[in-house]
Amino acid sequence: MTLIHEPDLGTPAVANDHDVTLTIDGRAVTVPEGTSVLRAARGAGIDIPKLCASDNLAAYGSCRLCLVEVEGAKGTPASCTTPCADGMVVRTDTDTVHALRHGVMELYLSDHPQDCAGCARGNCEIQALAVQTGAAEVRYGRGGASHLDDTADTSNPYFTYDPKACIVCNRCVRACGEVQGTFALTVQGRGFDSRITAGGTDFLSSECVSCGACVQACPTDALTEKSVIQLGMPSRTVVTTCAYCGVGCSFKAEVQGSGDDTRVVRMVPWKDGGANEGHSCVKGRFAYGYASHRDRQLSPMARDSIDDEWQVVTWEEAITRVAEGFLALREKHGVGSIGGISSSRCTNEEVYVVQKMVRAAFGNNNIDTCARVCHSPTGYGLNHAFGTSAGTQDFASVEQADVMLVIGANPTDAHPVFASRMKKRLRAGAKAIVADPRRIDLVRSPHVEAALHLPVRPGTNVAFVNAMCHVIVTEGLWDEPFVRERCEDADAYLAFIAGPEHSPEATQDVTGIPASDLRAAARLFAAGPNSAIYYGLGVTEHSQGSTMVMGMANLAMLTGNLGREGVGVNPLRGQNNVQGSCDMGSFPHELPGYRHVSRPEVREIYESLWGVTLQAEPGLRIPNMFDSAIGGSFRGLYVQGEDIAQSDPNTSHVEAALRAMDLVVVHDLFLNETARFAHVFLPGASFLEKDGTFTNAERRINRVRPVMPSRVGKDEWQVVCEIATAMGYPMSYAEASHIMDEIAATTPTFAGVSFARLDAEGSMQWPVTQAAPHGTPTMHVGSFVRGLGQLTETVYVPTTERANRRFPLVLTTGRILSQYNVGAQTRRTPNSTWHPEDVLEIHPSDAELRGVTSGDVVELSSRVGTTRLTALVSDRMPAGVVYTTFHHPVTGANVVTTENSDWATNCPEYKVTAVQVEVVTQAARANAGAGADVPADAVAGRP
Amino acid sequence: MSTAEPAVVRMGHDLVRHLEHLPGDQAAMEIATHIKKFWEPRMRHELLARIRWGDTTLHPLLVAAAGDLVDGEVDRGEIKEPSGG
Ligand code: SF4
Ligand code: SF4
Ligand code: FES
Repeated sequence: MTLIHEPDLGTPAVANDHDVTLTIDGRAVTVPEGTSVLRAARGAGIDIPKLCASDNLAAYGSCRLCLVEVEGAKGTPASCTTPCADGMVVRTDTDTVHALRHGVMELYLSDHPQDCAGCARGNCEIQALAVQTGAAEVRYGRGGASHLDDTADTSNPYFTYDPKACIVCNRCVRACGEVQGTFALTVQGRGFDSRITAGGTDFLSSECVSCGACVQACPTDALTEKSVIQLGMPSRTVVTTCAYCGVGCSFKAEVQGSGDDTRVVRMVPWKDGGANEGHSCVKGRFAYGYASHRDRQLSPMARDSIDDEWQVVTWEEAITRVAEGFLALREKHGVGSIGGISSSRCTNEEVYVVQKMVRAAFGNNNIDTCARVCHSPTGYGLNHAFGTSAGTQDFASVEQADVMLVIGANPTDAHPVFASRMKKRLRAGAKAIVADPRRIDLVRSPHVEAALHLPVRPGTNVAFVNAMCHVIVTEGLWDEPFVRERCEDADAYLAFIAGPEHSPEATQDVTGIPASDLRAAARLFAAGPNSAIYYGLGVTEHSQGSTMVMGMANLAMLTGNLGREGVGVNPLRGQNNVQGSCDMGSFPHELPGYRHVSRPEVREIYESLWGVTLQAEPGLRIPNMFDSAIGGSFRGLYVQGEDIAQSDPNTSHVEAALRAMDLVVVHDLFLNETARFAHVFLPGASFLEKDGTFTNAERRINRVRPVMPSRVGKDEWQVVCEIATAMGYPMSYAEASHIMDEIAATTPTFAGVSFARLDAEGSMQWPVTQAAPHGTPTMHVGSFVRGLGQLTETVYVPTTERANRRFPLVLTTGRILSQYNVGAQTRRTPNSTWHPEDVLEIHPSDAELRGVTSGDVVELSSRVGTTRLTALVSDRMPAGVVYTTFHHPVTGANVVTTENSDWATNCPEYKVTAVQVEVVTQAARANAGAGADVPADAVAGRP
Repeated sequence: MSTAEPAVVRMGHDLVRHLEHLPGDQAAMEIATHIKKFWEPRMRHELLARIRWGDTTLHPLLVAAAGDLVDGEVDRGEIKEPSGG
């Protein structure tokens, strides 16, 4: 494929049922009313030149290049700001407009470097426009005042701003505001002196979050990726999907070369991407360099004991060792002594094949996935309430939401591209209720202010959501027709929730939310009219995670906020393919499509296809595997793309379990922490080398296309098939698409999915069935998948993990924008510029009590372990709560987290650990008083 | 290191704490169903073995629920719906 240039129609599409017809250059053109003349013309193939306009930004009308003549109108209006009207007659090709455009272009060129590198590279629209307008020769000469001596800002690790090439068209400023919602850029000065500035400082020190929207918007070479400057322009495009978070942004991988010599020049967000519509964040846009990092392991390795040095071995030897090792363990210790963990970072096809290997070749159901430790309560709770283990909406639904309740999620850091959509809607007038112990950015950021911030104490979410429902029921704000028609067990639930113990007044001492604020929040949510719930791991990673998911489902049902756009219960999934890995049967109790292993008719589907007898009993979950390993009955583990020794709670327990096993096989890009305990290392393929699909948080199945061949010589699914085959169960596929064909043939919700269909449609949201051949953006329209929605009496059961005299503080964990989970990828990119280490945020009063100031090294201890971190005094946390991230292995945040877990799914209670903090080494306090606190904003650690 | 309480006891008691509010026999039934649906057989065996040994730390409701469990068999009647989590 060659380089794809996506068409830019100049102004955004207009949604309007009413069409108008006008004539442009003698041709009749019909468009929705409100469409600009520029867009109408460009859509009809009439190429009006433009500079300041772009179809992802509101029309601005500053460059005057898009002038046209309109019959009966005075002068020559800018077509980008002129709406089409019925019967309008437009001429774009007259001598008058040509002369005007020529003059405008000459002015631009007079201040534009003649030897502009962008021209040479072909990374600039100016050159093409100069030719188009016939202004290639400049009348004004280049002797006058110009900006040709300005110096470039190269502070951002990924892009430069060179004012010499800047034409002050304002596209970057508008992209930063309108698309990204950060408002980091402004125009400084007036007229000829005007320049773009990142808040008066350089880009790196500014509010900029390095999303790249401005770089993409810039029509010249002024804002350019450093990789383009270094490598030159790309020559071909492969459209693929980001492998970081659950937003699942589509990207054009723009590359040079082919085959093994392929080099990625840049990743540019794809305008047709269903999830991101042309936007990106710093991770997907820039942090792909880990795929070619020198730490990447490209050869299989093996060793007899974890105390030995690794030896490089051939693929054949590695696979034989794995297969023979697992067979021997099974022979000696029984069929249940081995198992596998699949990764939510891998493709649906890879994950499906891993569970098939475990079920068909290992002969048991000991398969689990890292979703266990993040969103398993979502699956449990939403399935219980609605009959399907997935979010109810698409991302675009947020554009219809009037009220957003954001609970335990920090979208601007963890789901940045979706956060930009949320902020856009909030700027347009929707209201936000943020329930979070921390004052996250959504509480207050440029042009966005939450209506209410409810600082709910960690561990008390259920009491909070019950109080919301209590107010709605007792104040008569519930949607009685919806509840009566579409839900079951309503009377029992209504009686339960009306109990005075759920009132905001009764629960405020538990939740920390003032009763009046809670009542205001409940009334706002009930008033809607479209109220949507968005939530993250701050909901699931609790001992009552599943109850809370059901509690939020109750709230949505009570207020009738399901089954249409703008509403719903929306999990913001952590990893790129959490949804998909759950869909693909990665849990030990269910086959693909969330069907319990005990159902004979479901087993029969796979037994006849795979030619084996499947076990009807659930297998071990990840924590059960660890417990059984320590107990001696679980002896061998295959781990795909998950660093359990770093990401799972209570590290010393995990390490003891890994040490206890006879065979640990790690299939990964890097020798991670888990690999310290491994006997065989199988090198994995990066997302740039994969062929398959990821399913994002909105159930959208996106294609992942190989940008380059596997650097390790094999696809991951192929390696898994070879292990199974060597174990005596032949498994093979000619290509990844055949795996999806098998998934579609056996899983009803995927019935209509194939690579060919996905390539044709762009992406599809499951269920994709005969009834919904193009997929299902909004679920539960008219009725729930399970029939009636299940209202559940969500009793609040406090966690057993409580602050006490020894451990008087509560630790909660999260992540920041530039880093991703355990950091295996992002730490190996310049993203570490922004977050070189994890810090412990502590409230000023807790800090003062302990003599802690910012920069001190502190010891953080819980009942299970101790680690050291640098302290950062911050009032973003409420008193009594400390906060850290877990992006760096040296931090060992999970050294202190405990074995406590969600009662229903064993999802670890990462969000609540009773801890103590003590100073180990004081930071230099030369000229700082004891209260040398860092201002709250610095805590954001941008990006 | 791992905590003193065995995992099946901790997990069983988590179920008790979250389901004991259910009326009558329903609590024991729900706990038993949950264990059948999500616990691997060796965990069920361990729980039953503890009861046989006379483990006095077990909550009576968990013991009652375990009365519903039969070693090595799933009550398929209970598990009709898709299962989630
Ligand atoms: S990269 Fe920075 S300046 Fe550019 S749009 Fe994004 S946040 Fe704004
Ligand atoms: S928002 Fe998520 S999916 Fe999109 S570019 Fe960023 S990390 Fe990738
Ligand atoms: S494109 Fe219309 S004024 Fe710039």
